[in-house]
Amino acid sequence: MSFDPTAAEPDRHAAPPAAGRPLRIGVGGPVGSGKTALVAALCRALADLELAVVTNDIYTTEDAEFLRRAGVLDPARIEAVQTGCCPHTAIRDDITANLDAVEALAERFPALRLVIIESGGDNLTAVFSRGLVDHQIFVVDVAGGDKVPRKGGPGVTTADLLVINKTDLAPLVGADLDVMSGDAHRVRGGLPVVLQSLVDTPGAPAVAEWVRARLAAVTTG
Amino acid sequence: MRARAHLRVERDGAGRHVVRELRSAAPLTLLPARTNGTALVHLVSSAATPLGGDDLALTVEVGPHAELTLVGVAATVALPGPHGAPSRSSVRLTLAPGASVAYLPEPTVVTGRACHESVLVAELAGNATLRAREVLVLGRVGERPGTLTTAVTASRDARPLVRQHLRVGDRELDASVASLAGKRVLATELYLDGSTPAAASGEWWSCTPLAAGGTLTTALADDAVTAVRRLGLAAAARG
Amino acid sequence: MSVLALMLADSRFPGGGHAHSGGLEEAAARGLVRTEADLPAFLSGRLRTAGVLAAVFAAAAAHSAAGRVDNWSTLDEELDARTPSSAQRSASRAQGRATARAAAAMAVPSVDNVCGSTLRVLLAATPRPHHAIVLGAVIASPPDAALVAAYLSVSGPASASVRLLGLDPLRVNGSLAALEPLLRSVAADAAASAALDPAALPAPGAPALDLLAEEHDRHHREEVRLFAS
Repeated sequence: MSFDPTAAEPDRHAAPPAAGRPLRIGVGGPVGSGKTALVAALCRALADLELAVVTNDIYTTEDAEFLRRAGVLDPARIEAVQTGCCPHTAIRDDITANLDAVEALAERFPALRLVIIESGGDNLTAVFSRGLVDHQIFVVDVAGGDKVPRKGGPGVTTADLLVINKTDLAPLVGADLDVMSGDAHRVRGGLPVVLQSLVDTPGAPAVAEWVRARLAAVTTG
Repeated sequence: MRARAHLRVERDGAGRHVVRELRSAAPLTLLPARTNGTALVHLVSSAATPLGGDDLALTVEVGPHAELTLVGVAATVALPGPHGAPSRSSVRLTLAPGASVAYLPEPTVVTGRACHESVLVAELAGNATLRAREVLVLGRVGERPGTLTTAVTASRDARPLVRQHLRVGDRELDASVASLAGKRVLATELYLDGSTPAAASGEWWSCTPLAAGGTLTTALADDAVTAVRRLGLAAAARG
Repeated sequence: MSVLALMLADSRFPGGGHAHSGGLEEAAARGLVRTEADLPAFLSGRLRTAGVLAAVFAAAAAHSAAGRVDNWSTLDEELDARTPSSAQRSASRAQGRATARAAAAMAVPSVDNVCGSTLRVLLAATPRPHHAIVLGAVIASPPDAALVAAYLSVSGPASASVRLLGLDPLRVNGSLAALEPLLRSVAADAAASAALDPAALPAPGAPALDLLAEEHDRHHREEVRLFAS
């Protein structure tokens, strides 16, 4: 059961971004599920696009540093937001600092088409406000236990894309991928699910393709 | 005691920085010193001042492109007067375009039961530059300070650069992390030169760029020597 | 007090406040605030310095808003001159921008006529206004604006202490309540100065708080900090 008010009627057809502003995609999920690694992979996979990243981790500077060190993005294209020990507040209840960061990036790079907003690691109830992002990706990993999709919660049930990450670890941690995938599809009512391992496919091709499709929808819509 | 002293420095046709007007008024005694470059004037206190009831004012005018260094000779020790009246000392600096002033008084010591008000007003024009230092010492060793209020106001072409008022001698406030964090000495140094270097800081000192150009260095310490050494760290960081 | 003022004072107001500790994080990192017992002195010191300054400018801005006086640039540069710490200025402007953004969405008919148009003029003059000035511009009542600004100057750090140090939220709230007389007098004094020429407004300094803010900012660039200020 979900206590999130948006879960009853998830807004799966949010209006496309107003003309002239970049598409905003949120990447959320529990601590250690691989959000930053996914963002880094997307930066590489989508390097042909005008994109930028906002990081929100409570260890904001560290995440921003990780991306800078990974050399996947010009440091000027990374903005870090401090969350005051409340990562979910910054992406859901009070989104102003993130909106400021997105606007600062859009001013710095007028041709910007995509901003990826990475949330701080939080629990399964943390979702992005629809006022902040156009679409959101929720990342869980197999090491967190194969019961996670069944537990649901707004992140798992309502995110526009659910990523079950680190599938290469499944045999090591005794996670049943079929159970995870089946539960995920069941609680998500038709919303897409991607199982991936950045070890096996470092470019996160399925997620990158999904992001490109969202961008294409803006352009054609 | 009421005193009005005045100093005027100009740059003459030969490029020398000369003291054109110098009016001491006891206990404010101005002593010009001979130098080759900038005009150098010593500010000497010729009596035990300020005492409660004293009202001392110094006005300084510096003409276009003239340079003045005004230094204190001994610490100012604010003492209580016989009738508990407050004392007041004010310095007003007026700088013409291109003028350059370094105002470096010695520390002000606020003794027990003193009630002193210190005012510094600097009016800069054009690209004038000012360096002004202030060192406040709360009480002589082992002594609880009286009260001191300071007001620093600086403007350039009538637009505000810095306005800071401070109240010292309120035990709770002095001890609070907001005001003096329990330190006995506060040293500040204003550089109003239009530059905006990056902020620098260390433990108990910081040098921060002001919004309208220039910097303010702040140092807190338990003694004046350490406070001034921390100002030096900031000056080095400022470059 | 207006409902709008209550909303702005609410810690759930989405105006960016949750990410600011008002110096508490740096004070805690230095061990200057460790327990509930250390908090009252920190809060009252903050209220009597930074809180007074915020209340004074909130009241002055409210006075301008109520009288439809467009002196926003003057208030902005006067508050800048009273905020020597660049870290404090950017914290104030970040919260001001966020609060203006949230307030602009509060198109309540009863307040929109004043608040909406005032905000537009304010933002045209200063796109990233100081927090206290936005509070005044939106609330448009000097006593209310001053009280909200004074309260926010301590409620934010108090909340930060709960999140950062795990202090007992009930005792922390008790410390806030104990500030009531001081909050009232700070707000009353600020309201009394609201009509002054902006150049003549009080300018209380906070040397240690400024110094901590600068150090906090430096640590941000070098190591992990959880709050923006």
